[in-house]
Amino acid sequence: MKASQARQKKGPFAWFLIILCAVFLCVMLLLPLIYILITAFRDGLEAYLEAVTDEYALKAVSLTLRVTVISVVVNTLFGLAAAWCITFFRFHGKKVISTFIDLPVTISPVIAGLIYVLLFGRQSVLYPFLQNHGIKIVYAVPGIVLATIFVTFPFISRELIPVLTAKGTDEEEAAALFGAGTWTIFRRVTFPHIKWALLYGVVLCTARAMGEFGAVSVLSGHLRGKTNTVPLYVELLYQGYDFTGAFAIASLLVVMALIVLVLRSVVEYKGNKSDDSLK
Amino acid sequence: MNETTENYVELRHIEKSFGKFHASKDINFQIPSGHLAALLGPSGSGKTTILRMIAGLEQPDSGEILLNGKVVNKVPGSQRGIGFVFQNYALFRYMTVYDNIAFGLRVKKAGRTEIDARVKELLKLIDCEGLEKRYPSQLSGGQRQRVAFARALAPRPQLLLLDEPFAAIDAKVRLELRTWLRDMINRLGITSIFVTHDQSEAIEVSDQIILTNQGRVEQIGSPQELYDNPATPFVAQFIGQSIPVEEYTQFRFFRDEGPESVAILRPEFIRVFKKGEQQQYSTSAEEGTVEDIIFRGSSIEVRVRIHGVLLSAVRSVTDQPVEIGETVNVFIHRMYIINGETITLQENQSLRSESIVI
Repeated sequence: MKASQARQKKGPFAWFLIILCAVFLCVMLLLPLIYILITAFRDGLEAYLEAVTDEYALKAVSLTLRVTVISVVVNTLFGLAAAWCITFFRFHGKKVISTFIDLPVTISPVIAGLIYVLLFGRQSVLYPFLQNHGIKIVYAVPGIVLATIFVTFPFISRELIPVLTAKGTDEEEAAALFGAGTWTIFRRVTFPHIKWALLYGVVLCTARAMGEFGAVSVLSGHLRGKTNTVPLYVELLYQGYDFTGAFAIASLLVVMALIVLVLRSVVEYKGNKSDDSLK
Repeated sequence: MNETTENYVELRHIEKSFGKFHASKDINFQIPSGHLAALLGPSGSGKTTILRMIAGLEQPDSGEILLNGKVVNKVPGSQRGIGFVFQNYALFRYMTVYDNIAFGLRVKKAGRTEIDARVKELLKLIDCEGLEKRYPSQLSGGQRQRVAFARALAPRPQLLLLDEPFAAIDAKVRLELRTWLRDMINRLGITSIFVTHDQSEAIEVSDQIILTNQGRVEQIGSPQELYDNPATPFVAQFIGQSIPVEEYTQFRFFRDEGPESVAILRPEFIRVFKKGEQQQYSTSAEEGTVEDIIFRGSSIEVRVRIHGVLLSAVRSVTDQPVEIGETVNVFIHRMYIINGETITLQENQSLRSESIVI
């Protein structure tokens, strides 16, 4: 009783902090969000629908979704593999690998984009080879996918590694001693432990992949209807003074982000609940 | 039980290093069928490494591991016919008790009815009927250990390996479980090896102790043998509640064995008498002062300072109580003398010429 009473009684300092947070969130998040919606609908619902159902807009949305799905699938596989080998095996260079996994978080996305341009572009020694085999990476969809994968690849492994490390390996050893194969061990023993962490990583990875601008911008070449993702398309419209269009498309991204946010909360809630019941 | 070979487990010249750490140095031992052996030693002595090599969880660098007369070095752990109980049980957290126990049988593609019968049988054996739908987190420490035991036994292994089976359990339940495990293993007649750093556990539970230190086997024998005839100075100091005394020659009736020699005294070698208490060796006893009294429940430990050395002795709770600061008579029956690598037992010499002294 005392604790809850103490918590209910808010001193001036508590009020100060609460108001500070509320004001900060309003100015930094809510206001821009409302502004996006207001601007998007400024010219009426019709103009909004027109902007959203524009041929190029739809192509941008479809490209973003495709890129996101590919990156998330690739990163899920990579994240699982990396987390698995880092937690279950002893080998030289393990530290180096786990450090390198975090690199995309610290590197500016623009630089990541440039690296790929230099690696696969005209100046590169690889260029003649790629050209001969008809592979186009820079200023094409594969480049966008590469850039997105690069920027988002730590998200899943970084969620998994702490969970696996904390868990230890003896359950897997026990299962192996019974003669269980790797797939059975993964499916029946390891996966239940990492299920929620993996889902959480996937959600974060999705959110980041959809919104990625910097690295993609360098590699895409901004070809309308071909290599323009949603964030790039928004910028394009904005540069062309089509504010209604830009904000209408932006509102699509906002909606996608909100969906992801809700998913994230659900995953977190379910994950915590299932963990609590087994603790 | 001994229908196949005398020794179920045999290790020959096993060597194992982890990088620069030499974990096993020329390990040799045999464990007869149906025996319960303890791998005892201080932490870092390499006992768990030995167990893990027998299980196939680690590979020895050289040497042979024989199970039932066959070299199994190249046989994967899952085909060696062993059951393994991990230190923290490693129960599958996201499976029920039933699924945990059934896991080994399911992997081996046993039939549904066979699995069901075996799981029910084991649940009855470990006295956990009715708990099959629980998850490991919903069990007490003792129940978890018993489930881990049942899970290891489910595929009917010929050898049971237990890594520190009592370490994760609180003291009271630990004593119960020791007896329970011993009875269970004796009833099943399964050859078993368990790792422990607790000598009382090894002494109480096992038929045979393999005492390890710094990657080497120091001595192999029954608990009694290790107690009575320690083969090396390490064994003498490790087993029992041993107190090393350098200047032992100041005690009467003990021979000097050389300048480098050290004596090992255990509480059971020492008798403490109150002044005036009826005693056998009155004339050959020496005077000491009681410094501390520790009530142990079933006995009383008395710490006595004599010739500047603090010794421990045991008195019965029914004896007349002594007090701190009291001057008492102390009689030392025997001591182990360590001289370099040799160890000898020296009896109090007044015992030999008892007739004269008394």
